[in-house]
Amino acid sequence: MDLTKVNVKNIYYPPGGILLWIIIFLELFTFGMALVAMVVYSKDEPEVFHNSRLLLNTTFGLTNTVFLLTSGFFMAKSVQSFKANNNEKSSLYLKLTMLGGFLFLLLKSFEYFEKIEAGLTIGHNTFFTFYWMLTLFHVIHVLVGLVILSSVFVGLNKKKSKLELEDFEASATFWHMCDLIWLMLFPVIYLIF
Amino acid sequence: MKNNMYIKVLISLLVLTILAALVVTLDIGLKVAAAIILVLFMLKFLGVAFYFMELKTAHIFWKSAVLIFMSIFLGIILIIV
Repeated sequence: MDLTKVNVKNIYYPPGGILLWIIIFLELFTFGMALVAMVVYSKDEPEVFHNSRLLLNTTFGLTNTVFLLTSGFFMAKSVQSFKANNNEKSSLYLKLTMLGGFLFLLLKSFEYFEKIEAGLTIGHNTFFTFYWMLTLFHVIHVLVGLVILSSVFVGLNKKKSKLELEDFEASATFWHMCDLIWLMLFPVIYLIF
Repeated sequence: MKNNMYIKVLISLLVLTILAALVVTLDIGLKVAAAIILVLFMLKFLGVAFYFMELKTAHIFWKSAVLIFMSIFLGIILIIV
């Protein structure tokens, strides 16, 4: 099947594939419900949540948002170049996408290290229990996303690449999902309390 | 055309992110600040979904599903905060 001719207006063929979109909605609901639970708990201990939020480094959170959004931009450009049969450019953009992911993980590791050093571990209080569970779960998604993108990168750079647009788009959609989840986490955990 | 669009979307997303961080520093009360931050978040979420994920070209079902999810999530958080 020539996938460039798939009609994305068809309900069964959203960009990235229907299965991935089902996963995306499940993920969004999971994180969404956890964040709602976090806000509900904050009503019982507003001072604890406010003071704990102030212990987070907003600049780190902001910088990580910039890393992921820029990475998402390069991912979209990579898919666009792949569709235009420009594998070289697509590969370059894919490298930049992965660089964004690595920088995110690097800064997150530094942030985690700081928190552990300060004794702000998962059992410190309710706020930090949510902080660790939600951000770590998201980090796992970023790690899985990087593994997927690495495999796409290897496929793309093979001499006789058999990489299909459907696979490329599905990987890109997974990567963008990591963006979406972080966009939900950042304002609730780092800003609103 | 699409090149410019992606750049414009990225710049808009970055500006919205910085605005959200600036709102926290304003003395406008926690509830008002939270409402503004969450609305800015919704715009960013939709920007990524509709442009980077190309949802704007998809069937209306998927667009509606994302909008409904976003509205429910935002609504619940705003009611509780």
